Amino acid sequence: MLALQKIYHLVQHAIRIEIRNKHGILGLLIFAIAAVYVCYQTTGSSVHSESWNALIWVVLLFAAFNAVSKPWADDSAAMRSVLFHTVSPQHWILARIIYYTLMLCAMGLAVFLGFVIFLGLEPFKSSSPLHFFLGVELTAVALAALLALIQAIASRAGGGFSLISVLGLPLIIPIILISTRFGSDLISGMAFADTAHHLLFLATLTGGFVALGYILFPYLWRD
Amino acid sequence: MIHRSWKIIGLALLVYVAAMSFIVPLGPGLIDFQRVTTTERLDASPEQDAPFYELIGIGTHWNALNEEQSGQLKCILKHESQLAELPVVSITDDQHAIVKVDLPDTLPSKSWDVFVIHPIDGTLLLENGLFLEDQTIEENYSWTNPSIEQLESTLTFHFPFQPRIFESIRNLMWHVPMWFTMFVLMGIGFVASIKQLSAQNKTFQFDDQALASVQTGIFFGALGLLTGSLWARYTWGAWWVDDPQLNGALITVMVYAGYLVLRASVQNRRQRAQLSAVYNLFAFTILVILLMVLPRFTESLHPGKGGNPGFNTYDLDSTLRWVFYPAVLGWILWGVWMYRLRLQFNRLDEKLKRILH
Repeated sequence: MLALQKIYHLVQHAIRIEIRNKHGILGLLIFAIAAVYVCYQTTGSSVHSESWNALIWVVLLFAAFNAVSKPWADDSAAMRSVLFHTVSPQHWILARIIYYTLMLCAMGLAVFLGFVIFLGLEPFKSSSPLHFFLGVELTAVALAALLALIQAIASRAGGGFSLISVLGLPLIIPIILISTRFGSDLISGMAFADTAHHLLFLATLTGGFVALGYILFPYLWRD
Repeated sequence: MIHRSWKIIGLALLVYVAAMSFIVPLGPGLIDFQRVTTTERLDASPEQDAPFYELIGIGTHWNALNEEQSGQLKCILKHESQLAELPVVSITDDQHAIVKVDLPDTLPSKSWDVFVIHPIDGTLLLENGLFLEDQTIEENYSWTNPSIEQLESTLTFHFPFQPRIFESIRNLMWHVPMWFTMFVLMGIGFVASIKQLSAQNKTFQFDDQALASVQTGIFFGALGLLTGSLWARYTWGAWWVDDPQLNGALITVMVYAGYLVLRASVQNRRQRAQLSAVYNLFAFTILVILLMVLPRFTESLHPGKGGNPGFNTYDLDSTLRWVFYPAVLGWILWGVWMYRLRLQFNRLDEKLKRILH
């Protein structure tokens, strides 16, 4: 119970910092909407279902990278030494995964709404867009779990955005492959129950990433 | 001498494998079963209206029989449990024979597997070799099966003939051991990284080991991709295909390349050892997921996974085993040797840099 409380407080702390400097989250939203708008402009008003599916995952991918490569107040040396003595690393990484999950789910919602508004719901003639949205959100959770650890390694190495991309992009390919397959199955008119195993697999991967972060992060914690 | 013996064994095994993989001949097989028109066959008498087909084999010995053995070449059609023997009209040479396809008008299926049975070559199969268009199809139609005994090949020591793979089966001794060696090397790196983390940075020797093993492992991974790409070009017709196994292999090599980039971007020795050890544990987990777990759940063109024609259950016959297992062992020994050399090289290189600066 105490652990849950601590994690809750850490997440609350992160959100409070985020709200205090408003440009951060606003910048991410602008990036997402602008990316969607670029897709709308480059494809023309009538977009093919397969391209719809491909574009939304690519936009989500870059929005996620943008979100995690934002500088993070906890990574400054002064803040780290305070946290080192007050918080356990396991609580901290779980809090960060939860925070990223919230942030990326919000990004997923923004991107999905942007696609619905600008590019339309053409692909969903025989399937529900809500099922697709579920896939988007689960992908956001998987990305959050993976990128939390990658971001921790990259920020400790001082490599910044380029290092996050180099370390993160290859690892993201399996997630995006599963999501793309799920999306194209759904769009091609397959029943949700027949393609839900992709989501199950995504959830398993997410569990694996969370476990890895939980086990490995304490080694990054101490200096 | 004793502590060097494993290196000598590794080298000897690889010399044996290199020689064997090019010397051992490919076994016999069937390439084609195609219709010949009467103009090509001058001796065809006009009253024979049943079509003639030409059997084309590769590495076969149809003409090598003496007088009393001729007539032992049998051509058989098969569909599920239905068998039909076709009369062999003439044997042109070792690889070509003419067969008369004299079948009733009603048949249980349009497409038939073609078997050839021969005392020397054994039983050869051409899957879906015959496709009939004119006959009426009746699923339940059946006829009396002729009694046919399957023969084992009397040829000694040859690689099995595989449709579409043909001579490129020799690549098995080069492509597959590369990945085995990479697994072993990355496993050494994994263990070294665990030791590094539990040593709490009191020593850096495990970090050196992890670096050397990953460097050598990436080299073998790159060779595996290269030999695989050549093989894909030959059997699938493209240098790269979209396939779970191939994606996994490429991603794994890229993830490990990220390990080298990560090391390069950290200057502090302690921090570099710690960060790269954590990342290496992560990378090895990804390797296991991508190369061993994920391909088993998805369909793949790649042999040994999912539904796959042509190379089912590896088709490791005894001849292949005689060369393949030594190849795996030899490459692993050589990989470990290379890893140790790399480790020494890295240490000397660092020492040299310290002296120079």
